[in-house]
Amino acid sequence: MASVRRKRRGESLTLRYAILGAWALFCLMPVLWFLSIGLRPRTEIITPQPIYWPTFSLDAWHMIWEDWPMAKYLRNSVLAIIGSVLIDLVLAIPAAYSLSRYTYRGRDDIGFYILSTRMMAPAIVAIPIFFLFRNAGLLDSVWALMLIYAAINLSFVTWIIRSYMMDIPKELEDAARTDGAGDLRILWEIIIPAILPGIITASVIAMIFAINEFLFTLLIASTPDAYTMSVALANFTGGSDGLIYNAIALVAFLAFVPVFLVVVLIQKHLSRGLTMGAVKG
Amino acid sequence: MSTSNLSDPGAAQSAPGQPTPRTYKRRSKRLKAWFPYLLVAPAVLYLMMITLYPGVYAIVQSFYAVKFGPWQPVGFDNYARLFNDYQFWGALWNTFVMGSIALTLQCVIALTLAFYAYRDPWVTGWRIIFLVPMLFMPSAVAFTYKLFFLDARVFADLLMRIGLIDGNIAFQSSIWMSRSILILADVWQWTPFLFIIFVAALQGQDEEVEEAARLDGASWYQIFWNISLPIMKPVIAVALILRGIDITTMFTNVFVITKGGPAFGTETISYFIYRTGFKFFDFGYASSASVIMLILTIIVAQFVVKRAFVSAKV
Repeated sequence: MASVRRKRRGESLTLRYAILGAWALFCLMPVLWFLSIGLRPRTEIITPQPIYWPTFSLDAWHMIWEDWPMAKYLRNSVLAIIGSVLIDLVLAIPAAYSLSRYTYRGRDDIGFYILSTRMMAPAIVAIPIFFLFRNAGLLDSVWALMLIYAAINLSFVTWIIRSYMMDIPKELEDAARTDGAGDLRILWEIIIPAILPGIITASVIAMIFAINEFLFTLLIASTPDAYTMSVALANFTGGSDGLIYNAIALVAFLAFVPVFLVVVLIQKHLSRGLTMGAVKG
Repeated sequence: MSTSNLSDPGAAQSAPGQPTPRTYKRRSKRLKAWFPYLLVAPAVLYLMMITLYPGVYAIVQSFYAVKFGPWQPVGFDNYARLFNDYQFWGALWNTFVMGSIALTLQCVIALTLAFYAYRDPWVTGWRIIFLVPMLFMPSAVAFTYKLFFLDARVFADLLMRIGLIDGNIAFQSSIWMSRSILILADVWQWTPFLFIIFVAALQGQDEEVEEAARLDGASWYQIFWNISLPIMKPVIAVALILRGIDITTMFTNVFVITKGGPAFGTETISYFIYRTGFKFFDFGYASSASVIMLILTIIVAQFVVKRAFVSAKV
């Protein structure tokens, strides 16, 4: 009996590592391929016969900083993303507090409305938004991107924060209330410190979505004044040779590294954040 | 005399017009009733600006022919045209086909991986490795997939080297090969999303029940089918809804890799709207497609999302 069980466990262990290892390889191979493209000279990328062992070069690195306004793209990205996350937090924290702490008529409908904006395809609202921003004179501006990113992520951020707020025991609040604290003071001094991990998780996820946003950025940004990294990539073209793939790969990698480091720090909370609190991670 | 000092009995006999403690109380009570609305209002107003206004705008615009110059009212012509437009139906079909294949693959792979990983001592390590694809910018991923399969033909070259094919593969001329690239890119990038959620759900299940079943001689798949899966059902539902929504709005990969081709075989609804609106400047027509999509979205949201999120009271 014991030996049978040990044998069975041994078998499944091999299978387990074979499957997990295979997927890890599948995950990481394209990443190596990214790096390999990013670090080779441009002439090696599109050749009739693909070249597998690259000669390393920092061509792409020099190019993105010297031939392209990379610093500007970076500044646009950072400004739009951080601004949008701040707008989201200012709007979402009170909203989440209201949805999680009070019972009132229409609350579930309001919650549903907020959530349902997450379900809307960007393409549905793309045309009106384009005209809205054009009429407001906001096309091709970082501020417009900031507003758009904030709107895209607001439902997400509200629901993540709400789910963390709902976990705070009511007694904690009641104790403060008997001490004479008002609703806003309770929110500021008790709730917010208690759900800080939730706020950070929501901010990181909102940040990732903002970095990745493509369709609206493509429509709103038409010159380097508002290009973010995600759309600037699509414009890395070098005349007759077409796309400058080594620059694309390198920029992608540069954007990946900080995101990866932040996500490793919050990875425990990630599943909960990605499901907007429907799963307690 | 201070009107704000409510405990001051003198305040009750203050001049007419001065608020008495009673009115103060009433006002604060009224304020209390409004307070939660006040808190949620800015967020709702902000979202309305970005959803309600565009929604109404799209509905109005869908009844006009909007090219260059003034809008021409055309009644339901745009919808009639849409109904007879094989490209529109094709786009719906493509979205459905590519979306459901990609979603099924992702779900099966993520469940398998999660099942093998959650009991592993290195589960955190696996989680971090598997997460990597999700963190790359989708536009960049799309470009590298395009390079790998189409422009530099690395994939075809590798297959030739191991002797599986002779001669180049014409990805661009085969609908199913183009679709496969889009599906593969989506599976690569977004399986981690489901994996992360499933692992968390599996870790959250009661270990003792699992152990008891094991002692009773249940095999791993019995445990999986009869214990883990039922517990995970709501989690799987929520995860699939969220991922499903993102898949049906697929745009970036189509824009970068195939541009909807060949022969509109990979054109999704989002790309259809983009193409008619921003390539052909046929905004009224594109808006009517948006309205159809909006109606579909609302139906899905009413049925699925309300059940999965709001009434679950998580």
